[in-house]
Order: sequence, then structure tokens, then C-alpha cells
Amino acid sequence: MSPRRAVSGGRIDRLRTIRFTFDGHSYTGHAGDTLASALLANGVTLFGRSFKYHRPRGVLTAGVEEPNALVTVLSGAVREPNIPATMLEVYDGLIAESQNRFPSLEYDVGAINQLGGKLLGAGFYYKTFMGPVIGPLKGTRFWMFCEHFIRRAAGLGRAGTEREPSRYERMNAFCDVLVVGAGPAGLMAAKAAADKGVRVILADLDANPGGSANWSDETIDGMAAADWAAETVRELKARENVRMLPRTTVWGYYDNNTLAALERVADHKLAPAKGEPRHRQWTIRTGAVVLATGALERPLVFPGNDRPGVMLASAVERYVNQYGVLPGRKFAIFTNNDSAYRAALALKKAGGEIAAIVDLREKISPAAREIAGKVGGAHHTGHAVIDTEGGKQLTGIKVQRFDDRTGVLSDDPRNIPADCLLISGGWSPTIHLASQAGLNPVWSDELQAFLPPQATQNWVGAGGFNGGFTTAGALAEGHAAGLKAAGAPAAAIELPAVDDDGLDPKPAPVLEIKAKGKAFVDHQHDVTADDVRLAHQEGFVSVEHLKRYTTLGMATDQGKSSNVPGLAIMADALGKQIPEVGTTRFRPPFAPVSVGSLAAERYGDIRPDRLTPMHDWHLENGATMYGAGLWHRPMIYALPGETVEQAYVRETKTVREGVGLVDVSTLGKIAVQGPDAGEFLDRVYTNMFSTLAVGKARYGLMLREDGLVLDDGTTWRLGQHDFLMTTTTANAGKVMQHLEYLLDVVWPELKVQLTSVTDQWAGAAIAGPKSRDVLAACLTGTKADNETLPFMGIVRGEIDGAPVMICRLSFSGELAYEVYCGAGHGTHVWEALMKAGKPFGIVPYGLEALGTMRIEKGHVTGAEIDGRTTARDLHLDWMLSKKKPFVGSAMMDREGLVGEGRLQLVGIVPLNNRPVNGGAHIVEELYEDGPRDSIGHVTAMCYSPTLGKYIALALVKDGKSRRGTRAFVSDPLRKRFGPVEIVSHHFYDPEGNRMHG
Amino acid sequence: MLITCPYCGPRDVSEYSYQGDGNRTRPDPASTDQEAWNAYVYDRLNPRGEHHEIWQHSGGCRAHLKVTRNTLTHVISSVGFARDAGHRKSDGHRKTGAEA
Amino acid sequence: MVEQESPLKPVWKPGSHGNFANGVGVYLSETMPGSIVQLAAWPGEEKAVIAAIKKVAGVTLPDGAGGGAPGDVKAAFGFAPGKFLVVDEKEGLAEAFAKAVDISVGTVTDLSHGRTAIRVAGPKAEWVLAKFFAIDFSQVSFPVGAGRSTVHHDVFAQIQRTAPTQFDLYVFRSFARSFWTALCHASAEVGYEVR
Repeated sequence: MSPRRAVSGGRIDRLRTIRFTFDGHSYTGHAGDTLASALLANGVTLFGRSFKYHRPRGVLTAGVEEPNALVTVLSGAVREPNIPATMLEVYDGLIAESQNRFPSLEYDVGAINQLGGKLLGAGFYYKTFMGPVIGPLKGTRFWMFCEHFIRRAAGLGRAGTEREPSRYERMNAFCDVLVVGAGPAGLMAAKAAADKGVRVILADLDANPGGSANWSDETIDGMAAADWAAETVRELKARENVRMLPRTTVWGYYDNNTLAALERVADHKLAPAKGEPRHRQWTIRTGAVVLATGALERPLVFPGNDRPGVMLASAVERYVNQYGVLPGRKFAIFTNNDSAYRAALALKKAGGEIAAIVDLREKISPAAREIAGKVGGAHHTGHAVIDTEGGKQLTGIKVQRFDDRTGVLSDDPRNIPADCLLISGGWSPTIHLASQAGLNPVWSDELQAFLPPQATQNWVGAGGFNGGFTTAGALAEGHAAGLKAAGAPAAAIELPAVDDDGLDPKPAPVLEIKAKGKAFVDHQHDVTADDVRLAHQEGFVSVEHLKRYTTLGMATDQGKSSNVPGLAIMADALGKQIPEVGTTRFRPPFAPVSVGSLAAERYGDIRPDRLTPMHDWHLENGATMYGAGLWHRPMIYALPGETVEQAYVRETKTVREGVGLVDVSTLGKIAVQGPDAGEFLDRVYTNMFSTLAVGKARYGLMLREDGLVLDDGTTWRLGQHDFLMTTTTANAGKVMQHLEYLLDVVWPELKVQLTSVTDQWAGAAIAGPKSRDVLAACLTGTKADNETLPFMGIVRGEIDGAPVMICRLSFSGELAYEVYCGAGHGTHVWEALMKAGKPFGIVPYGLEALGTMRIEKGHVTGAEIDGRTTARDLHLDWMLSKKKPFVGSAMMDREGLVGEGRLQLVGIVPLNNRPVNGGAHIVEELYEDGPRDSIGHVTAMCYSPTLGKYIALALVKDGKSRRGTRAFVSDPLRKRFGPVEIVSHHFYDPEGNRMHG
Repeated sequence: MLITCPYCGPRDVSEYSYQGDGNRTRPDPASTDQEAWNAYVYDRLNPRGEHHEIWQHSGGCRAHLKVTRNTLTHVISSVGFARDAGHRKSDGHRKTGAEA
Repeated sequence: MVEQESPLKPVWKPGSHGNFANGVGVYLSETMPGSIVQLAAWPGEEKAVIAAIKKVAGVTLPDGAGGGAPGDVKAAFGFAPGKFLVVDEKEGLAEAFAKAVDISVGTVTDLSHGRTAIRVAGPKAEWVLAKFFAIDFSQVSFPVGAGRSTVHHDVFAQIQRTAPTQFDLYVFRSFARSFWTALCHASAEVGYEVR
């Protein structure tokens, strides 16, 4: 038996022993234990070192709000830091480590920081390291020197660097009523709503739904509260319209009743089941929400309140009643309200010894007084704890007479030996989600707490969340809230009976005892009461500034236990009331969220792959692929030993002299259909399409409304009312949206239907002087001679039994055809073309060769259509119809888009015949001290096998008039400089004889 | 944020693409009024409060919607198909700022 | 006729996978219909197109957004205002519709090669699909026969519920392999069978 485990009691499974290690030591616990309860049962009280001062820290709470007992969980080489030991269920094989200590938790070098307490007060880093260098130990430069050491010493857990192999998932859910919190209120709400037949989701952050019922030791409906909860959960689970989400933290409340929740699916086992995610990120869209999130107990602020052994009263009550753990031998209690007396009772029942109850109130309720008498030990009302004793473990407390109205301490202090001190500063309703979906929270003087705000979304609260602290009240409110959320009229029922212990939860309005020593407000960020006062003295009066200057409430626990005490101290310093000081808004997330769960299915793979129908053929035939947007496209088909340049030069030569085949399936293809299709194209293209004959294609240019070039491509007229538009690969989506907008918003009267048919067609461009011969060898059902298929003509036929549609057009500048077939026939037709081309020496070619040939021809692509160029800049003004207005026509000639000074498309020939890079600047002169006075930039470069030299395209200021002149390329990043000649962008066959031949 | 598409029903905002200020009216195509074109292409209202916007249900039925949304609260008070808003003739000069 | 090649070939692994020890949660298959045709009616002509669908495909569509009729051989559903997808086991549906739907009524677009039809069936079908799409798959809001247009990141999908626990998804062919891989991955948790 573990040293601190009670002989009986608790909701753990004593028959199941769990083995785990903490800081290398082996321990055992039971199923149902958290790491915190299991370690406490083993007598461990030291859990970690604090953030700034490296003070020894134990466990303060028993739940999600835990600021101290954060651990790192190791799983293979993967380490996950900052897990509250209070939320970590133990499992066989669990390996956990304490944090922020060196070399070990027991002997921590950083603890020396405690000696320099004054030095590390609020704003220490700002004061020491910001600003000009005055002396050797000041200023930003000093920070740069010290940063490494400080970052090592400060902070919480250390993240791992290994790739995490876990799965994360996202899940969408829809329901009518989402109940957050499965305590008595939440369970009643879920039941009431489910009875009305609506879809209910009940989420709770613990493994075992039940909330306070699991540890309140009350009787509900004639049975132990925990049994009532288990019974209710069983009943709810059996219903088809209820989904239970245990281990699920609802952490964000967004617009339109959309809530975010993190389900820890597999954190309670050594390894997830096959295919099971570790975490699941839920997006829940619901008609209404019941917030039954309960309340969190607050610590009192007094010197030494962070010593291991000082714990919230409710936490101890929970350790005793739920886990059967007595976290000490001799207990003292320090409270400003009645609720801590319940914990005293629980301790007494479990065999704990109560040394003293210190109540800072002079007057207390009869019920509390009765309990005090029952549990034994001294009962000091009108007293306060002013310090604690002990090193890494509490050994005693120092108590003094205290006036709860003036805060004045009097009489001599006395010592009381105790190894566990229960503290209670009253309760704060857990209104975080409500704060995200409501106005400002409302201060209650009576409860010394913020109550839920007025809702701005459709939620209703119940139980402790509302500020009520009785189980009977929670059951009644839960029932009413469930009905309301389900849209049902209020109805009275006979509620389960609960005993009333008569305790009064209203606290005295005192949260701090001012005495000598470090009194912690924010345990996790090591912010003391003096830090808050110092911030006030230095002029930080706004609560928002206070928060940022002291970092109060900015740690991973987001100030769940420190928010109200911090405000109380600030209000006191300002001489104001708490509501006047205000509270900061609670933002999502309520509790830390794993980044993996947000990335979910995109973890590792950012984007889906988009594959052409011939993708597998390319891979099987030696293609090196690269990404073009989401698409995968062949770059080169290298022969063994070939470099990239050698490969594309060979491919280009083969096309120019023989024949080659390239996959053009990625081109955007839009079916433009309808009686007004021709009219529509006339409006969106700069040139005419309504006049295009059926069975013909035309190159078209599109401008944006602002007159700059949007995209180019050919559009084929397949029928009177049926066009097939092609776009560049990169702009397919953009052009589609542009056209859809015009049709839907601007010209709804036009009868035109747009459909993306990019994926319907596989496209293969066959190019080169022998391309016609290859077609002739495999095409049936039509001829491919110049008469049947002239330049820009379209024919239909079959290749090896598959229907094809062929358009004679050329991007390479050679005699060329684009062969389109159904995507499912893509590989079939491609292989037939390769086979037919074999006698002609056909090669497949990739984007590099395609790019080389387009540079030689001076065709523009996305590098030149960069959103800044006009049709004139690209020498495409011949395509601007003067007979009709079109999109962009009104704006294209405005000032700044015409005249001198425009960057215009030119060709560039490096005179040293060395490669230049895209993005390199063109300058008139080279300066030794660095580049300046750029007159343009290189957009594309290749080695031209046809011309036997390196060539490039560039956009150069007034480029047309510079043809024949010299300039320099300046690429300081790659250290490439050299003289170039500016020439026409048509390097190759400017008359186009080859493709028309 | 949810937008209720008149065809598809309520859908997450991630299914939609924002297509800009819905108060704009395209000048007559043949118009050469540079001021009117400039207003159409560049001027955008950015009111604090109710705003008429065009959203495309690009991840759904692809229809363009005319949405009245409060930019302070995200409350959407009306949604309709943009094509039903009718063909509005421009007076060539769009109101700006407080006039609109 | 040349048979259509499946885009899923290299990732098509028939049999049971994932956590199927306690039964298979979903059955995944590619239905490979011969025809997938999109019909679009001009405003006011929706009834005429619905009549044409009945005439040509023999499928009766109910009125209303997303209304549809499932069938083993032929199925049809609305997926956008005035737009319908009609699917047939056999090839040649587009040609038949081209004759039956005059340009004054609407347009016919053949997508038989452009969309890949994936069937997700079984007790966990709703669960698996909810991992991808932010739409409500419950039968109350997504009845049998109905169609929906939605998207998972870049992957557009038109979905028809063809039985209480069966959904047919039509995705762009170029994304099909990527989507299928993701679908298998997401199904592993509940155990899946490819058939």
C-alpha cells in the first residue's frame, strides 16, 4: 500500500495496479488515478521548480487550472512538455519528468535566483535590458549577451525536436444542444434536453463525467453522488440522440454558436489503437449551448503560499474522496469562506488529523462551527496564516490574529506544525467561454467573483457557473437550462433529492494577507503581490498594462487561479473597487491546445497532390517531377548521367529537329456554353471570339478590370454554343472565379454556363517538324494534313480506339498539335503516340524544354504576366480590339500605364555567355559599392540549344527603345555580374514559318 | 462565421471566398468616364456596422451571394443570390464614405 | 471502346485495413460509372431540365435545393441552383442528353472522365466523412437521395446520399488519388474494407 493512500474509499480501481516512472523513479498507482494523485499517494510532494525563482513547488489543485505541477511526458524520443499532472491519467509504462530544474528536482542550481528576489521583480527584464548602452551591465547589447543563459534558466518545459509520429484529426459535429461540463448541472441539462428528442453533445474535460459529484461525498437521489453520476451517464450513453465526449475540453466559443473542443483520445494509454488519433479537434456547430462549467477555487495570497504541501481545500477534498489519497499527515486549513470545512470533514472521515482551522473571518456560520467542533483541532477565527515553514515540504505555519475589515495583524504570531495546508479564497465561476460569447462579466460583491456576462450568443448557464454553489441548485438549474436550450417550455419535475449541509459559500472580501515575504499571486509565472504593487507604483494603472508588465495571468494556466486575487491587490493599491479596475477578457483557448490537432490532416503534408492522367507513366519513364501549384509536372526525362541542362537541351533539340511529346493536361480548361457564350467571350477577351468559326481555335488575351494583363490562352469553338477555353496552369482557378463573378454579379442577363473541365481532358502536345507524320501514323477517322487541319484548326478522330480532339497550335514554335482525350484514356493515347512516334525518334519532354522553347519564341507566361504588366508592355497590343469594349479596356490606357518609363519585354543575351538568373537586375552601369539604379529584371533564362548560347527574357524600362544597346546584369546575391545585349524577345523564327508550315 | 447559402444552407466561412464590396456598380462598358471606372475598380466602402458584400460559395454551389453583414458583430442580416439583385445601372459616380 | 483507367490504380489495395478486428466500419469503393453528366438549366427552365432527366434517365427528381434520387444503375441530384449531376452505369448519357436538352433550356456537360466516383458505405460512413467535410451528415438534414456540394481544403466534392449508410462522392479526377489516400487514412480508426 502506498504511504498516503487511505485504506478504503475513492473512485479508483484498487484491483488494477498501474506502473509508471517520474524522474526515473518507479511508482505504482491505480486505474482512475491522475499522475498527481498517484504521486501524492506515494508521498511525493515536490513536483517541479518555479518559472523565475526556481522555488520548489508541489501540486496546488486537482484539475485543469493547475499552475505548478507541470510535467513532461516522454514517448520514445518525443517529449511533450507542460502537461498538468492533475490532468494526466496514469497508464502502464507512463514516463514523466519534472521541469525547469538542473541538474535534478531535489538539487536545483537555479534556486539561487531566490536569493536575488528583489532583483527579479516586475519589469526586471525591461529595466535591465532595454534601451541604450549606458554602462557595461545595461541595455539591449547586454541582453544579447545574456539571452542565452536567461532563456535556459527561465521558462517551463523544453519541447522536443523529434518528429512526432502521432495522428491528429479534425472532426465536424452538429447538434441542437451542446452541454459543456458533465457535473450535476450538466448531466441534468443533457438529460432534460435529450428527453425532448433533440441532438445533444455532452463534453467534459475529465475521463469520468460527473464533475463535483465524483468527489463531493454527497447523496443524490438516495445514492452516493458519484454513483448517481455514473448511472446518469450510463443512461445518456444508451440514447441515440446523445453523444458523450469525455476527456474533451471545449476551449473556444466562436460566431454562430460554433465551438472548438479538443478531445484527448489516447493520452491515457501508452500507444493509441491502430488508426486512432492522439487528439481530435472538434468543431461543433450547435443550436444552443448549456454552460455548466462549474467554478474554480482561488488560493489566498500570503507569504510562503507556494510551499509544497499548500493546496486548495477543494483539491484536497477531491484527492481524499475521489482518489482515496491523504496528501499529508497533519492538516491545517486556512480559509475566508465555509467551503473549506467540507474538506476538513472529508479528511477527518478518511482518518486525517486536523491540526487547526484558521478562518480569517471573525463570524462564521453555525454549520461551519459545528464541523469545526466535529473534526477536532484548534479553531482560530479572526486569524490569518502569515508565513509557512519548511524547505521542499511544508512543516508548519505561522498564524496571527487578523482583523478581516482592516487587514491589520495583531498579537504575537504562533507556530502550528502541519505538513499540508488547505487554503480557500472563495470561488470564481468558470465563465471563460461565456466571456467569449457575451458582454463584460458582472462583479458580485457577495461572492467576490465575476459572474457570467449577458449573452451575445445562444447559451444558457447552470450550476456553479452561475455562482450558485449547492448541488440541489445545480440540479434544478441544469434541468431548466436543458429544457430552455432544447427550445422546450419550462416544466417542473421532481428533482433528485440532495442533503443540504448548510454551509455558506460567501467569502469574506479578503484575498491577501500583507506580511513579510514572497506572497504568490500567479504561481506559474512567479508573480508576487509585491510585483503587482510595484507595477502600480511605476504607473501601470490599467489592468491590461498590469498584466503585460508583470505577466500576471499570461502563463499556460491563463490566470485561472490568479486573476481575481491579482485584481483585488491592484484595486487595493489604486484605492478602487474591483469592478472599477475591470477584468481582462478571457480569450480562447480555455486550456492549451496541441498544435498538431489544429494542423490535423495537414500535419506533414501541407497540400493535396494534383496528378495528371499520365502521372504514373512519367514516373515509370524517368521523369524528374516538380510542383507547379498543386500539380506535379515532369521537369525533365533525364537519361542516366545527364544533368538537368543536358537533359533539357537534348529534349529541345529533338523537338526542333524531330518530334517530342509533352503533358499539357494541367492547363486550365473551362467549358463556356450557352446562347450568349460568344458575346460573353467578346466581353472578357481583348479580341473577338463571336466571329470565330466552329472547329477553329484562337489565341486570346484577358485583362483585369484595372487594365493589366490577367491571363492568356487559346479558346476553341467546338459548336455554335460551345467553347472550350484554356487558361494557364497557374491561373485556372483565378480566371474561373473572375468569369463567374462577371456572369453572376455584372451580367446576370447573359445565358452562359461555365464548368471546370480541366480534369475531364488529358492533353498531350506533340511538337516538331515530324509531329504530323506521327499523327498520320496513329490517327484514324480524320486526316491531319494541312488542308484538313490548318493552323488553329480542330478535328475529331480516334487514336488506338480512343476518341480524341486535336487542335493545331504551337507553344514551341514548331509544327505542333494539342491532342485531347478523355482523362481516363490519357495514358492509353499517350502510349499510342509514343509508339507511333518511335520510328521518328520521338522523346517525351518536360517543363524545362517547354520553357526553353517558349523563351526562344518570346512567348510570355506567369513570370511576365506578373500583375504589373500591360498588353503593350508585352507587345501584345495587336490583340486589343478597337471594335468593342472589353474588361479592362476603359482602364488600360490611363496615365501611368502608357508612355515612357514602362517596363517592357525584351530579350537579353549575356555577352560573356554565362547563365543569369530570374530576378537578377538589369543596370546601366555596374557600381563597385553595390547595386543601384535598376532598370528592370530578368524573368526567365535558359541555354538555347538552337542559338548555341544563354538567352533570357527581361522586363526593362523602355525596353523596346533599348534594343541593340548594352547593359549589365547585376545579381549580387549569386555574385553574377556581366555585360548583356538587349535584343528583341523573338529569338527564334520571328515570322512563325515553322509552325505555319 | 457561418453564411447561410440560399441553396446549400448554413456553411462555414471557409467554404466561401470574399469577393469584395457589394455596393459597387460597374459603369456602362462603353463608358470612358475615368472617374467612374476608377471608383468601380479601386474604391471600397469599409463601414463600421452594416455592409453589403459579395461572397462566392466557392467551396459549394459556386453562386455569388449578396450578404449584408455587420462588420462589428459578424451578424448577417440578409443573404441572397447576387444575380437576383438585378442589373443595376450606374450613374457613373459611386457614393463614397458617409454618403453611401 | 477503350476502358477508362482508374486514377486510384497504384493506391488501390483491396481487402480489410486498419483497426478492423471488431468489424469493418466503412467500405470504400470506386463505382466507375460509365457516364457522369452535368445539366444546367437557365433560370426558369429548371422544370424542363428535371423533365428531361426523367425522360432520358428515367429518374424522377423531387423539387427543392439538393433534391435527388438514388439508384443502383442511375442516380441524379441537384448540387447548385439549376444544376444537376446525372450518373449512369453505362456510357453515352451525355450524347442522349445533348439530343434531349435544347440550348434554350440549358446546357449539357460531359464529366464522365473528369470526376471520380467514390463510395463510402457502412455504419461509420457519417463518422469518417465528418472528418473531412463541415456539413451535417445526419439523415435529418441530409436525407437519402439528396446532394450536397462542399469542399475539403482544395478538393471539391459533390456528395449524394444513396442509402441510409452510403454516400457517393464525386471528386475532381486529378485530386482523386490524394483524396482516396486521405480517406483510407481517416478510415483506419474504424477499420475499412476496400472493395
